[in-house]
Amino acid sequence: MAATVSSAALGKAAGAAYGHGESGGGRGGGFLGPRVPAEVEAMARGVQDVGKDTFRRLLKVTVNALEGKDCKESVKLIAESTNLSEEQLAFLISGMYTLLREALRLPLSTLKQEVFKEDLKELRIPEDFIVDFSSVVFGNRRPASEGTALVQRSRLPSVQDFKWRVDVAISTSSLARALQPSILMMMKLSDGTAHRFEVPVAKFQELRYNVALILKEMNDLEKRSVLKIQD
Amino acid sequence: MLPLTIFVLQGESSFSEEEEEKLQIAFSLEKQDLHLVLETISFILEQAVYHNLKPASLQQQLQSIHLDQDKTEAFASAWAAAGQDTIEKFRQRVLTPQKLETIGWQLNLQMAESLQAKLKSPQAVLELGMSNEDSKNLKKVFVEFNHQELFEFYNKLEAIQAQLDSLT
Repeated sequence: MAATVSSAALGKAAGAAYGHGESGGGRGGGFLGPRVPAEVEAMARGVQDVGKDTFRRLLKVTVNALEGKDCKESVKLIAESTNLSEEQLAFLISGMYTLLREALRLPLSTLKQEVFKEDLKELRIPEDFIVDFSSVVFGNRRPASEGTALVQRSRLPSVQDFKWRVDVAISTSSLARALQPSILMMMKLSDGTAHRFEVPVAKFQELRYNVALILKEMNDLEKRSVLKIQD
Repeated sequence: MLPLTIFVLQGESSFSEEEEEKLQIAFSLEKQDLHLVLETISFILEQAVYHNLKPASLQQQLQSIHLDQDKTEAFASAWAAAGQDTIEKFRQRVLTPQKLETIGWQLNLQMAESLQAKLKSPQAVLELGMSNEDSKNLKKVFVEFNHQELFEFYNKLEAIQAQLDSLT
């Protein structure tokens, strides 16, 4: 996903950031895990010298990237209109990206806003910017990606379009009167493939039975106590 | 005569070279005569399939073209034994290039992923094995469903079932 920002620049930033990231490793804690990711530390240092206006533009680009949008153009625009070098930009964006990604990973019930703000304060991120970060994670700017683009990324294809037809063969080359029903299905999947196939009636019963069985198993699973444990 | 008729009924297509040699010896027939016999039997049976004949009426029709008594009886008894199955086999024959052959599934509970912690989302994976006319291998298609998607899919299958029910 980093590729949507500027892969070359980010790659450089990540390499450089990991190089001197160990120094601050001991602090950490909070929602970022036991060790604060190097790119977040680098961002926290760099962001002190960034104006509020530029920061907001960077934040917007980062949120767009999290939502899976292509941000090459808007990053280029920021680079042209500010005096930030490509490397500085890469540090800032990849740090903000990691910070937000880690915060958004956690459900709202787990990550409390005060804890989040406290963690950012410890990273020495300016108060103004903490408010902006916080409004992305907890406010109405929370990316729409939840449950859509991001979740789709690591799964097998799903059914996008399903069409069917019930046929009755009246007669065939070998039978004057066949009168045999059959089903033709067309399944378009989210990976762009389409499958057209015939399902004999007996096989259709098997499919229907199995789908009903999975549904029942799913219902049973959701009722089980393992799902009711509160985080 | 009777065993030969049954052989023809069972054989999906024609016999192999080797099988024909064995048949020649078993029935002490010349190669050409064997072919003639096989083709004649095939033709009669194909007609029986096409018109969905009852054994008695097959026997009657064969008598009316003056086939020997023992041969008409052989046809009739072979047809009585295997006729319906044979017709069913032709009825099930599929003309489309792909046909659903196997169904497998797996139910998973997704607990977390790179971009989302503390998930508890059941996911079903359906594996559909499809046979292809051009190859012996089954093509496997995997489709993933969450609860909502699976429910919608099930409702569509129910709609198909309602159509099938209305046919009978």
